[in-house]
Amino acid sequence: MRRLGVGLIYLREVDPLYREGNPDLAVLELEPETFWEKLYPDSSSRTPWFQPNSAAMAQIAALPQTKLVHSVGFPLGGTEPYEADYVTPLIAAVRDLDAVWASAHLSFNQISTADGPQQVGFLLPPRQTRHGVELAVANIARLAGGLNVPLAFETGVNYLRPRPEELSDGEFLGLVAEAADCGILLDLHNLWANERNGRQSVKDVLDELPLERVWEIHLAGGMMLDGYYLDSHSGPIPDEVLGLAADVVPHMPNLGAMNFEVMPAYVQDMGLDGVREQIGRIAEVWRLPRVTRIVAPRATPEAHLGVAADEGDVLAWEQTLGVLAVGHRQAEAKARTATLDDLRDDPAIPLFRRLIGEGRSGQISRALHYTTVAMLACWGPERVHALLDDYSAEVYPDAFAAGEADRFARYVLGRLDRLPSVPYLAEILAFEHALARASLYGEPAVVRWSVDPAELFASLDRGVMPTAMEAHVFEMQISPESSVG
Amino acid sequence: MRAGLPSDPVPLRRVNVFVPREVAFDFEKMQTVTKDVLGRLGCGQCHSGRLIDFLIIEDFVVNAKLQVQEIARPGL
Repeated sequence: MRRLGVGLIYLREVDPLYREGNPDLAVLELEPETFWEKLYPDSSSRTPWFQPNSAAMAQIAALPQTKLVHSVGFPLGGTEPYEADYVTPLIAAVRDLDAVWASAHLSFNQISTADGPQQVGFLLPPRQTRHGVELAVANIARLAGGLNVPLAFETGVNYLRPRPEELSDGEFLGLVAEAADCGILLDLHNLWANERNGRQSVKDVLDELPLERVWEIHLAGGMMLDGYYLDSHSGPIPDEVLGLAADVVPHMPNLGAMNFEVMPAYVQDMGLDGVREQIGRIAEVWRLPRVTRIVAPRATPEAHLGVAADEGDVLAWEQTLGVLAVGHRQAEAKARTATLDDLRDDPAIPLFRRLIGEGRSGQISRALHYTTVAMLACWGPERVHALLDDYSAEVYPDAFAAGEADRFARYVLGRLDRLPSVPYLAEILAFEHALARASLYGEPAVVRWSVDPAELFASLDRGVMPTAMEAHVFEMQISPESSVG
Repeated sequence: MRAGLPSDPVPLRRVNVFVPREVAFDFEKMQTVTKDVLGRLGCGQCHSGRLIDFLIIEDFVVNAKLQVQEIARPGL
């Protein structure tokens, strides 16, 4: 694979770093879904399409770094297939950015339910069995066939305990890579988190991987929560992880890029100087001398594929883990399988619920910002958390904030008369919900105001719900362009 | 009155907001609010850890409330 250099996952918050001529910053990796909108033809349709922000894509394409595409919404490890509606804009992102290769997660984030496929709000670990390998290989082949560039899968984080009936992490990853004849995006921070949380050691995983297939490394920082070390992309790379990189990079003849990941909310803490410093530290490892080829690559250990499992087992894995992780009350009561019922006792299940719940709350607080502020200002955090918990236990997640906002707004509207009073909540919610639905479904709406909304929002911008406002009755029309006559 | 909204930071269906001509309010503020709401409807970043967006808003509102209460406390 081409040697590109050191890079950074693109965020608007770090955009200036790509423009300052830093010779160490040679690669821009884009998560294209973060610049897509999810759209439906109308509110009765169940099949969305994904619309990229062409203006943003053009700006990013014009940046001087070599580009890579890293898909985050549609992983490679699940039984629920993603179709052309997703593949088409992904191919477009690869083309528009002239990406050298693309990558996606070896995880699943969607499950089959009686109401059709539902998302689970997290990249959950795949079933590490023979059929899990075959499924991943088929998914990789299907996606790779549609792309004009090589495809790699990312080694994921797994907070579950190791399971005796499963392949080891390294064996599973190695088998998938060899059978799919694809690249590996080695996330060393994920593997280090796995080791710290009781799974296979990084060294043992690396011993089982075909290192000549590693095209890219991800590095990040994490944090502790509820006794687990999280792959939270929340700060500088731990020295131990950089040390692991320094140990293994010399043995990777086809390594093309090493990229740093950080979440937007943590960029402020690090500052651009802090992010730049991480780039410099990675560059020191990148410059280490490397072998040019591996003399004795591992034989594909076909014999090790003898773990008993079938397609039904993988489906049961996804449905059981999915509903347990989401904490979907109704589905959880039904999700019992003889072989996997012990998943309920895995101590990571409450962690998944917390992380998924916080992710969903974050989506809601972004898309329904003023609704959230109004509820927090009037009820306080405890009551709002209780409402969000109830919602999460009844409604499946949506990876796109517009979809999550639509679901939460409908949930609240159905209970408005039973909830403690919040002045103007119905109006604020109607306004933000109308914008989400206009975006999602192209649906027009009329919002009736009893007060001046600009004054109301200005107060909420200060975190305060005004107690008395002058009456100001009027109707506001929300019109997607296509519905304007 | 009509506001064209927005092509950046997020793509999406162009959404227009209309209010009667006689309504007098801070239209610029509403335009900004609408643009911001529409700009936050996309897909989140890759993560397998903690998202703190809600907690940031929660802290902001709680702190705002404390400040208001302190100012309003009699005798201080």
